[in-house]
Amino acid sequence: MSERRTTEWLRRAFLASPAHRFAWASLLLLATLAIAPTKDFFKEWKHYQRQYLKVVSSRLDGPALRRHFAGGIQQIWLPELGVVDRCTTCHLAVTEKSLQGAIIVPEPFQAHPPVGHNVKDWGCAVCHRGQGAATEVAEAHIATRAWERPLIPVKFIQASCGSCHQGEVAEAPRLARGRELLARLNCQGCHKLSNLDTPSLGPDLSSVGYKVSRAWIYKWLKEPRTVLDKDGNTSVNGYESGDESRMPQYRLNDTELRALSAYLSVQKAKPIETYKISVGVVTAWSKNPELVSQGEERFRQLMCTTCHPVAVTRAGETKLIGGNVAPELTKVGSKVNEEWLVSWLHNPQAYSAHAEMPRYGWTDEELYKVSQYVLNKLTDTDLLSTVPQLGDPTDEEIKNGKRIFLEKGCATCHSLQGVAPQKDFGPDLTAMGAKSTTELDFGKSEAPHNLVSYIEEKLRDPASVNPSARMPQYAWNQADLDAVTTALLSQTGQPATSALQHLVVPRKPASFQTVGAFATVYERYKCYACHRFNGYGGTLAPDLSYEGSLAQKKWIFDFLKNPQTVRPALILRMPQFNMTDKEASVLAEYLSLAVQKPGVDPESVDAKQFTPAMVAAGRELYRTKYQCQSCHTIGNSGGYVGPNLNDAGNWLTPAWTEAWLRDPQALQPGTIEPRRDFSEEEIHDLTAYLTTLRAGIKSEAGGSSVPKSSSGRGTGR
Amino acid sequence: MNNRISRAAPLLLTLLAFCGCKKSAGIDKSDADAAAYDTEADWNDGQKIIRLGYQEAQGKRIFYQYCVWCHADATPAGPSNRSNLTPVPPLLNDGEKLNGESNEFLVSIVTLGGSGLNRSPMMPPYGKTLTPEQIKAVIAFARSVAQPPYLKKETSSSQSAAKMKEGITRP
Repeated sequence: MSERRTTEWLRRAFLASPAHRFAWASLLLLATLAIAPTKDFFKEWKHYQRQYLKVVSSRLDGPALRRHFAGGIQQIWLPELGVVDRCTTCHLAVTEKSLQGAIIVPEPFQAHPPVGHNVKDWGCAVCHRGQGAATEVAEAHIATRAWERPLIPVKFIQASCGSCHQGEVAEAPRLARGRELLARLNCQGCHKLSNLDTPSLGPDLSSVGYKVSRAWIYKWLKEPRTVLDKDGNTSVNGYESGDESRMPQYRLNDTELRALSAYLSVQKAKPIETYKISVGVVTAWSKNPELVSQGEERFRQLMCTTCHPVAVTRAGETKLIGGNVAPELTKVGSKVNEEWLVSWLHNPQAYSAHAEMPRYGWTDEELYKVSQYVLNKLTDTDLLSTVPQLGDPTDEEIKNGKRIFLEKGCATCHSLQGVAPQKDFGPDLTAMGAKSTTELDFGKSEAPHNLVSYIEEKLRDPASVNPSARMPQYAWNQADLDAVTTALLSQTGQPATSALQHLVVPRKPASFQTVGAFATVYERYKCYACHRFNGYGGTLAPDLSYEGSLAQKKWIFDFLKNPQTVRPALILRMPQFNMTDKEASVLAEYLSLAVQKPGVDPESVDAKQFTPAMVAAGRELYRTKYQCQSCHTIGNSGGYVGPNLNDAGNWLTPAWTEAWLRDPQALQPGTIEPRRDFSEEEIHDLTAYLTTLRAGIKSEAGGSSVPKSSSGRGTGR
Repeated sequence: MNNRISRAAPLLLTLLAFCGCKKSAGIDKSDADAAAYDTEADWNDGQKIIRLGYQEAQGKRIFYQYCVWCHADATPAGPSNRSNLTPVPPLLNDGEKLNGESNEFLVSIVTLGGSGLNRSPMMPPYGKTLTPEQIKAVIAFARSVAQPPYLKKETSSSQSAAKMKEGITRP
């Protein structure tokens, strides 16, 4: 009934006469035609452009900004890169210098901070990702079904630097830290990754059965060095530390722990070369109550803590002190067998050919005292108290242990005689940072479905996205987690086009070729473990790439013989190797002749030309005009930002001093000492003064009471 | 009555058409931490995290390379050189001393050193070592960690602009 009535009503209202019909049809047509212009008027970008004009009108620099404004869709087109970015349609002030850093300008109208790459030459999406060609907020910024490359959060933006810059970028410290961690933790053991330093492998386990007990292996596999405290901070043996353990935690049950510890404890591929400390020394010292305390003193004098951290309790607070290039030794006495320790200290390379520990020139007495100190004092009687009774390894356990060793991918980091290295054990990650969300399996994880969250989640707890993941558990603090995420996001694979390929900035190759007698001594003392030569080697100690231009040959020799005297202020100091005269002179000869800075010939400035008047003038400049004592110490007074200059006359070559005063950064990029406006005359006077500074070894040792200097000599950090 | 409805019908139709076209353009408000380029813990209160933009983050990097040794009480290497100097240099976050100084003055003293401005010659000039952008970045970093906080002066009428900030709406 009602249906009929409605139909009737419609007919009367609209179709009563042809004129009615025509009028209604026209109205409908007009309305339809109006849809497009109205929609256009309400476009998001038009809205933002109107608001921009309002914002601009309230500013003093408004007229200029208005002049730069052009309505309509804006785009940056870079045909050679294949880039079409329309971001500037809404982000109208990206290139406005007068708006840089202006806090009260709201987004999307803030100016881009000044970066190395000009926005007009690079566009936006190259670094920020997102869809450059889009003109709607959602399509440009977030992942939609049609576009799977959302914006990268600003926190991780340094990843974009790393996509092209394979080497270090000073402005991107987070990326550098992430890459450092990926190399240090040897992620390349399982995964393929690009643009990283050589990985540092885990210890060779071929003869580990001689080194440690089965109970210790059980404990270590269950709880590697790193422990997380209740606040999620990384601590080492319960001690707070900025350093992280390289050994991750595997999810092993008791049976697996028993099997693996059994298997490893029978690894005795190569009998250790037992070193017998002479009976005379043992009988003379073994009953001496001062044995251990003298060992401790020697341990300190040898500066073992320069490389090995040790936990020390002072005023109720426990802290790790020392370098981080070698294993922590706080509880090592409860870990290693005595016979192994003595033979290791005597010749580390006999146990493991690739060991980076230098071969010290021990006397039997020293070796006995230090090893007894380590075995008696660096201990923890509770260390193995939680380990169950293990008994002798059974054949069954050993067989299972071998299976687990392979299943868990242990051979990706550790070498073991008779086991082939496990290459490409984990997935290739060289293009991880360019993956789209649909390629990722989040499993039951509740993390937001995007690439960044996936990487974070996987790193935080590998089992969260995949319960059967083989990847072990690493312990991160938030800063390191962010850094590694950034470094992984930078792994975007091969550039898609040859134009982008041209943008790649390759890594500087680092190599230092050594030959002859020098190479032998250099290898024995593992100079590269701490020092850097032409970009190759460690960063713990000063870069020695230009040592021949910098230091006098005789000084180098004396220093190598007795390295303790130079920087009494430093906690980290060069160890005393007990080098022979011949070894020291081989190093000094080679360094001073072959390791020079081009353009700084150590012979080019003759100290004989300096007159007493010049020395007096230089002294005055040093003390009054330039007040160098704010950073440098002479005698007992001065600062300790720069090196102690007590012995500058014996240490530095005048040629280096002059070149340094002219432009420190030219000799050592990044060094703290600023370049000054010295006249040539002032440079000669200052050099003349510094040449006269000569300290006797004795007086210098008592020279400074400064607790710790900032760094190696003249190197900044 | 009937007539009124019939007149409204096309309008309703048009509106309906719009609603169909409108896309839901919801972007989740991203995590504030993820939107910051870098962070620095407040020097007086380690629990308080200060978020840094790109420029301040660059300033932070340069500060910890060149300036920290004398303008902080703790340095990456441990103790500071600050107590060795007379007059004692200000801490970087010392708002009471630095908030009153203009950006131009701070740029000059970093560029020319103390002796260039009749201040302590112990402050060396960094104008030939750092670029003007780097020096500005360090000052921006100092401003962002200042205690009491540094209140930025804007060149234009900041009040109306501040209103604008609230006034920005999403379409």
